[in-house]
Amino acid sequence: MGYAIVERELIGTLRTRRALALLVGVAIAFSLLVVSRWPSDATVELSGVQAQEVFRLFAYGLLAILVLMVPAFPATSVVREKNQGTLDLLLNSPMPSWSIYLGKMLGILVFVILLLTMSLPAASAAYAMGGVSWLRQILPLYGILALVLVQYTALALLVSSYAATTDSALKITYGLVLLAAVVTLGPHFFLQGQPGWMPKAAEWVRCASPVPTVMELVGHGDAGSFGRGAPTTLARFAAFAAGSAIVFAVTTIVRLNSFLLDRPRPQGIVTDDRSTAQQWLRRLVFLVDPHRRKRGIGPFVNPVMVKEFRTRRFGRIHWLLRLVSLAALVSLLLTYAATTGTIDWGVETIGGIMVILQVALLLVLTPSLAANLISTERESGGWELLMMTPLPARSILLGKLLSVFLTLLLLMLATLPGYLVMIWIHPPLRWQVWQVLICLSWMALFAMFLSAAVSSLCRRTALATTISYALLSVVCVGTMLIWLGGGTTFGHELVESVLQINPMAAALTIIEAPGFTNYRLVPSNWWWMGGMCLLCVFVMLAQTWRLTRPQ
Amino acid sequence: MGEQTSAVVVKDLTKVYGQLTALDGLSFELEQGRILGLIGPNGAGKTTAIKILVGLARATRGRASIAGCDCLHHPKKIKRLVGYMPDTFGSYDNMRVWEYLDFFGAAFGIRRSQRRGRIEDVMETTGSTYMRDRYVESLSHGMKQRIGIARTLLHDPSVLILDEPANGLDPQARIEMRQILLRLAELGKTLIVTSHILPELSRICDVVAILNRGKLEAFGTLNDIMRKVSQKRTLEVQLGSGDGLERVAGMVREFVEPEAEITESPSEAIVRFRTSKPESEMGSLLASLISANIAVTQFREIPADLEDAFLSVTRHAEESDS
Repeated sequence: MGYAIVERELIGTLRTRRALALLVGVAIAFSLLVVSRWPSDATVELSGVQAQEVFRLFAYGLLAILVLMVPAFPATSVVREKNQGTLDLLLNSPMPSWSIYLGKMLGILVFVILLLTMSLPAASAAYAMGGVSWLRQILPLYGILALVLVQYTALALLVSSYAATTDSALKITYGLVLLAAVVTLGPHFFLQGQPGWMPKAAEWVRCASPVPTVMELVGHGDAGSFGRGAPTTLARFAAFAAGSAIVFAVTTIVRLNSFLLDRPRPQGIVTDDRSTAQQWLRRLVFLVDPHRRKRGIGPFVNPVMVKEFRTRRFGRIHWLLRLVSLAALVSLLLTYAATTGTIDWGVETIGGIMVILQVALLLVLTPSLAANLISTERESGGWELLMMTPLPARSILLGKLLSVFLTLLLLMLATLPGYLVMIWIHPPLRWQVWQVLICLSWMALFAMFLSAAVSSLCRRTALATTISYALLSVVCVGTMLIWLGGGTTFGHELVESVLQINPMAAALTIIEAPGFTNYRLVPSNWWWMGGMCLLCVFVMLAQTWRLTRPQ
Repeated sequence: MGEQTSAVVVKDLTKVYGQLTALDGLSFELEQGRILGLIGPNGAGKTTAIKILVGLARATRGRASIAGCDCLHHPKKIKRLVGYMPDTFGSYDNMRVWEYLDFFGAAFGIRRSQRRGRIEDVMETTGSTYMRDRYVESLSHGMKQRIGIARTLLHDPSVLILDEPANGLDPQARIEMRQILLRLAELGKTLIVTSHILPELSRICDVVAILNRGKLEAFGTLNDIMRKVSQKRTLEVQLGSGDGLERVAGMVREFVEPEAEITESPSEAIVRFRTSKPESEMGSLLASLISANIAVTQFREIPADLEDAFLSVTRHAEESDS
């Protein structure tokens, strides 16, 4: 019975344009990679260095595709069926929940295996060049990728079973995947070589990411360890991936029953109708209670901006206050710890941690706020209603962008106290801090305009969110993979050229974070960012203008 | 009908998408305070006509005006004159009904001091005051339709254009929706309503327009349309008992055309027949039945049915096309 679901999921996925584009794109990209590195003369290169270079690019490329593209398919799988009403039909059939789950899981796995098959000719070509082993390198790489695939698919299906919309499922899944694959590398990067228990804990935490394992396999030793030895991560990663996948799968199977759909409509009780004690309690907990009765939208305020704030679940003012407080607290604690000497990291390391945390926050939050600005309106029919109001298109667009801009500004301001303490500790840093803040502001603006432009081009929010996350990840995370291979696979100039488009890397070079001292990325990065922002604004304006015209 | 007294004037409205003519020379006029039922099969051009009227689509040819304002050249002014409810609700998550109406009120530039009262008014008109604190996405379909109408009323437009307002409603909600629409007509609003539920439309519409393949096949009151599309009327003779049915059927046959369709229903003690003979001759038939000592309990014309009219018009159009 489960075969029916496998068939439907697989055929459903294969029929989409993005699946076709992905399959063809992977085949073309890896063919070009091999062709570009294939020996052009008749001499044989016995050292195998060229083949190793091809294999490294090949391995990082495959890993990046898996991390960036694969979660998009399972993340929408359960929630879409729930919203379309087809999950009712499945749960009402004699199929047990494990069979439904297995069907969905296998449907996605078969598709991705098909995707990986597209890379086999390139892997064979790398082997044919000499210097790459099937048994010690190529097969283990596919083994690691298979583990990553199962783990992220199971995670995305679990998120999908909890989410209320495809959009929120994608946001949460990408946030968790980025956390597991990239953010977990941060603590080890900064703490390695230090005494105490924290570096050991960081060593374990980074094993949640497949990046160190793949780097070990392709001969890079360890992610950002700069020659220092590190214990093998393969066993830890395999145990973590398999264990977490089993936990995710079991939890999702348990959740896949009729109780998943047995939810009452929210009562919508407003705080004003509750008892005085409850009202006070809510005031203390929320600071700004989202459930109190509102006064009307005030004069001189863009109504679209207010609407955007009110319709967000995450992003309403009480959530923002919590997030801002947390960000302010973390940045202050970090700088306080450095000042009092309890940790001997140095201002540069503290600055680096703050930059990475801030970029991670921007990377996770911005597409979730901006990628639905126009696509959600078009998907829900709200765009037609907005067009029927006398609001001009510029007001609608301005209101929407302001709602994202103000949120991001709050987040940026939250870390300002931390940077001020840094300047107080080490006054010559003042100019560097300003430059870092400019880089981060560019990052925020670029993420906002890129997501908004993508949103104006897509009819569906889920697609807009996926594309926005993928593009931003390529810019901020994908380029860092090239940096990780700096000095061995990639030359200094190539790494510096690639990092020009990464505002996080630019900020890290300014703050002179470890590993970034040899690069000069400013002001060329600012020019890049400015140009890309202009391009995104132009696309967004042109598309919005087109959408507001009578058809 | 003069253009000054007409709330809606449409002349030779045509919309062509590539090879497809979605609307082909649509022309009609609608007076202030009347309810127009716009009906037609799927793809007939109803939504295209509506979108041109509300300024969301451009016409290839022709003109349309609402309250004297040209829909094609002044789409911004039209937005203030028209309240439009599309067939999709357009809800926003995490918004309460009051906040939802407050947003649209603000978007229409209604001052905050006036907006509060205006929201209360429209909620009362549509019977949705009790929903004010509910989340919009948690409302049932019928509740959403009421809120949709409340939203269209916020800026007090003179013309309301409602696309399928009764679609998906249960019988109780349909009755309530009908009452709301009649109340709006009493308030002097001009309504253009599309629907697939023809019996519902026939109960509220003053005027009906039947569209088929982009062309206006019939326009007028229901009775006018029935007379135009079908020259025959259906009449019923009900007796005290079923004993004299054959005799009555024989007498009817002498009065009506030879090819007329006559049916007997013994269980109801009714003889039904369709004829194109005038009312005066039907009076003579009744007199003959009474003088023949037949116990006639009812002699009546069955009212025109919108479903019959619709099917008849679309069938005629298909026959003439073929």
